[in-house]
Amino acid sequence: MTKILFRDKLDKCVKQWKSDGLTVIGPVQRANISTYAAVDHAAEFDFDLVLPDRSIKDLFFPQSEPMLRYTIKKESINTDECLPPSGPRIIFGARPCDASGMAIDDPLFGWDYKDEYWFQRRNESVIVTIACTKADDFCMCTSLKMAPDSSKGSDILLRPLAGNNGWQVEELTDRGREAFKTISDLLQESADTAASLAVVEKKFDLDACVAWLQNPENFESRFWKEISMRCIGCASCTYLCPTCHCFDIQDEGDTYTGIRRKNWDSCSFALFTMHTSGHNPRSTQSARWRQRIMHKFNYFPGKFSVNSCSGCGRCSRQCPVDMGITETLQEISTLSL
Amino acid sequence: MKIVARHDEAPGVRTMRLEFQDAGDHEFFKETFRTGMFGLYGVYGEGESTFCVASPETRKDYIECTFRQSGRVTSALANADIGDLITFRGPYGNRFPIEEFHGKNLLFVSGGIALPPTRSVIWSCLDQREKFGKVTIVYGARSVADLVYKHELEEWQERSDVDLVLTVDPGGESPDWKNRIGFVPTVLEEAAPSPDNCIAVICGPPIMIKFTLISLKKLGFDESNVYTTLENRMKCGLGKCGRCNVGSVYVCKEGPVFTAAEVSRMPASDL
Repeated sequence: MTKILFRDKLDKCVKQWKSDGLTVIGPVQRANISTYAAVDHAAEFDFDLVLPDRSIKDLFFPQSEPMLRYTIKKESINTDECLPPSGPRIIFGARPCDASGMAIDDPLFGWDYKDEYWFQRRNESVIVTIACTKADDFCMCTSLKMAPDSSKGSDILLRPLAGNNGWQVEELTDRGREAFKTISDLLQESADTAASLAVVEKKFDLDACVAWLQNPENFESRFWKEISMRCIGCASCTYLCPTCHCFDIQDEGDTYTGIRRKNWDSCSFALFTMHTSGHNPRSTQSARWRQRIMHKFNYFPGKFSVNSCSGCGRCSRQCPVDMGITETLQEISTLSL
Repeated sequence: MKIVARHDEAPGVRTMRLEFQDAGDHEFFKETFRTGMFGLYGVYGEGESTFCVASPETRKDYIECTFRQSGRVTSALANADIGDLITFRGPYGNRFPIEEFHGKNLLFVSGGIALPPTRSVIWSCLDQREKFGKVTIVYGARSVADLVYKHELEEWQERSDVDLVLTVDPGGESPDWKNRIGFVPTVLEEAAPSPDNCIAVICGPPIMIKFTLISLKKLGFDESNVYTTLENRMKCGLGKCGRCNVGSVYVCKEGPVFTAAEVSRMPASDL
């Protein structure tokens, strides 16, 4: 017997969580793009998506975020720090790759200076992940040594029932247990079996790729030029990536009043690293693509002992020119044989 | 911070002296600032720019910064008047280990607008001159007009305890120029300072650093006795925004001060 949340009870759960003061967020289809967004009713959720177009990152690290407001007066400057809108949230129906992506970025936002914007949202969010029963050609969690039911970064893991009428509930953290306590009356003990997990084909040998990347000789390999020749530097891969975290800080306003904002930025852009003098350490698209791959699979794990990739495959799925991490690491796999 | 003085160094290059408005902030700066660290200087409505603190750790009543007016933020900074308030975030980064230089000869090699970070080290040493051996400064710029801190160059030239070698690139000399003509690495090799018991601090545009490292090697300097500061584009200064890294090294956290030995382990094409 396992604890089961039946689908027909979900709307009551949503109501309960909302009356507990939680904002309920989940996968939805909105104007031609699927994303994680706040809902009022369970009917708004779209659990049929392999995964939403946009990653869960948007909820923790928004595309643009005010950091402070300034007002300049004759003799003084007033500044008000802007903290993220506070309030507890439950993200229902995250995919395992998205949930683990957030856990991957925790050490980055926490080393040395603790990013309060990130951690306030992290601490106020319960992530309820639904294991994947279907995958598409771009999914690559298994290549990253993860799985369609990885629990990393999740507070609750749900396993879809074979009858597609509910989920087995695995409570993983105190935060998850707390959020599910208030709906405990809506859960049932039952012997329903879980549906089989999605089969995600392994696309490359990660260890071999990492070894190739760590070899300094390969930094200047012709491979980088060849693989990135068709990259147009649009940054879609970095913006949709759950773990890409690069940002810019820009002021928006006039001489008297305005907002200092933190905006997403991308290592794909030439301006990202350009010096005032015109010198650019990463002056070619191949150097920029190399930086992205090296950062994810060599530099980031060197610092934080985890790859900066959770295998969601959005980089390849959404790339306008059919590139992506999968293709690059597949190629590296063959080079390192 | 309040701008209390400013000085035009070269066409488009300005030095500003800034004083703290908040005693607590000043106290924090005094406790933490060491030569080599950098800060983000800003004007609300325009943004922030990263430069080194050009004043030495031996003079902490104020911060001096020197910058070239180039983009949006530096233009706003250049337009700021004495008495105006600007923002400062920092000090960030690591430092030159000046205590380890005690008892040693010092060689400073610098080019153009890169004298400010070198100047912070120079004054930190000259302010406690007795602790160091021979001090040699090799400084060059594209033209005579582009030399910064001209008043201080004169002061160093007059000091008997400082050996100053000034140079300008060929074609950059003025009719009354009495110093050297030639590129910094060439002039350095001609000056041929001894590597014995000597620490070299070099700072300049990437191309100058590249050739100066070669020259220092020829002169017999060990890479571990050569220090430089890398000034990459930065936004956060906190190891998060992702742009200043060279290979796996975050310049804002692990730098900006590195030995040439450390730099040689970085991927050269990403510098």
